[in-house]
Amino acid sequence: MMAIWRFLTSLKTCAWAGLAFCVAGAVGSVVMGRYPELFADMDAQVFAGWFARKGFADPAPTSWLYGLLLATALFAVNAACCTAERLVRILRGEVTLRRLLPHVMHLAFLGVVLSHLVSAVYGDRIPGVAIPQGGFAMVGGTGWAMRLDRFDAVMAPEGYPRDFSATVTLFRDTTPVARGVVRTNEPLFHEGYGIYIKNFGTTPWGAPYAVFDANRDSGATAILAASLLFTAANLLYLFPSRRNDA
Amino acid sequence: MEAHGPPLEGAHLILFWLALAAYGAEAGFRLAGVAPASIRKSPVFAGVLLHTGFLALRWFLSGHAPMAGLFESLTVFSFCCAVAGLVLCRAGETDAGWGPLSILVLLPQAGAALIDKRMTPLYPALDTPWFASHVGLSFLGYGFFAAGLALGIVYLRGGEEAVYRAAGRSALYGFSAFSAGMVCGGIWAYYAWGSYWIWTPKEIWSVIVWIYFATLTHLKFIPAEAGWPGWTKRLEMGATAAGYGVVLLTFLGVSLLLRSSHSF
Repeated sequence: MMAIWRFLTSLKTCAWAGLAFCVAGAVGSVVMGRYPELFADMDAQVFAGWFARKGFADPAPTSWLYGLLLATALFAVNAACCTAERLVRILRGEVTLRRLLPHVMHLAFLGVVLSHLVSAVYGDRIPGVAIPQGGFAMVGGTGWAMRLDRFDAVMAPEGYPRDFSATVTLFRDTTPVARGVVRTNEPLFHEGYGIYIKNFGTTPWGAPYAVFDANRDSGATAILAASLLFTAANLLYLFPSRRNDA
Repeated sequence: MEAHGPPLEGAHLILFWLALAAYGAEAGFRLAGVAPASIRKSPVFAGVLLHTGFLALRWFLSGHAPMAGLFESLTVFSFCCAVAGLVLCRAGETDAGWGPLSILVLLPQAGAALIDKRMTPLYPALDTPWFASHVGLSFLGYGFFAAGLALGIVYLRGGEEAVYRAAGRSALYGFSAFSAGMVCGGIWAYYAWGSYWIWTPKEIWSVIVWIYFATLTHLKFIPAEAGWPGWTKRLEMGATAAGYGVVLLTFLGVSLLLRSSHSF
């Protein structure tokens, strides 16, 4: 048991897990391009759903993902055990509360990993909701109908879009529940979903249309909080007085 | 993009070429074994001042942070390498780092000189403060990692303890800047594309860089011991130097060799 604990708290484990992650990720970045039919729709649904559908169906080209997930898990467990060991030593009075910033960063990193896990399982992706101006479309399984009230695009003389926006209204049954303007970098948020404008064009009968995605990342707020905690601890750690190796 | 006329556009390009000349002079002096009396009297210091003027003027002229496209990416990369050098290679012992680093500052700027320098309009998705903060902090991290390569080489060739400590700081500072850049990138992606994470080679390599340097900052705490791989300062410095290769693969390799929607 002690041997397992030593392995899980060891810095060498951290080093090997980091190396394994780098190798698996590097392999994956190449394999993804070789198998577009397998990986092209990875972002069209949450990761757990995609993995359940394709991760087991074709194990060879997805084996790098197993390596990536295992390395991430080992990295996270290593960070958790390292911090747990430190806390135990503090409780026993063997060390003081000083120099805790690396452990705050460990906890924040764990927060990011666990929150991402929540998003990967409980999130939702509803891609490609196309609506002509004045028309309606159902938004996946949310029970909402979305109406594109108005679409505006400002085109540059060179022909590229300088700005585009869509005024939309969400209905549940016949009752409007949300209304707002969606433009690039400015989604409309409602009940945990973000409505994003992805594309636009003109229908054969001349009316403008817009294509939307509706996404929900259940762990996004927690990831933001953990990331900010990590950044704050990291910045404080830059002060030499707070480091052992300064 | 507003029109400010050819004089200002010409002036900003003159600053670019002058900065390139200053970096070239620094590299030339260093290759000849000539070191300036102090960093403030060095060509690279003048180069950074000129480069700052160039970037500020280009920002003003184009109306957006000059970090879009290959030309602007390369010149900002060069600028960040020089700034990181000014932070880490100031003292007597660490000054030797400018030998390799002056080349690492010069090369991206020289590469940028070969590329079309016209200012292009910004795509709507890039028109956000998160773009400038994400790219700027990421390149600042890259700059520190470049300084890490230079200092790592100097240490492996018989450098002193001060060089080792400066190289350690390069990994820590670079990791910190890069981490903050990733946070900004995640926020930006969440607002622009609907998720803080998308599966593209660029994103995967960005996390590889992050994990690599996160691991590297832990190496120094592993007690030195005999046997493979022999956790020593030399291994740590070798890994610090090799980290620049990971950075180059992420910055240029992925953009040029692999298909990714996330360029440069």
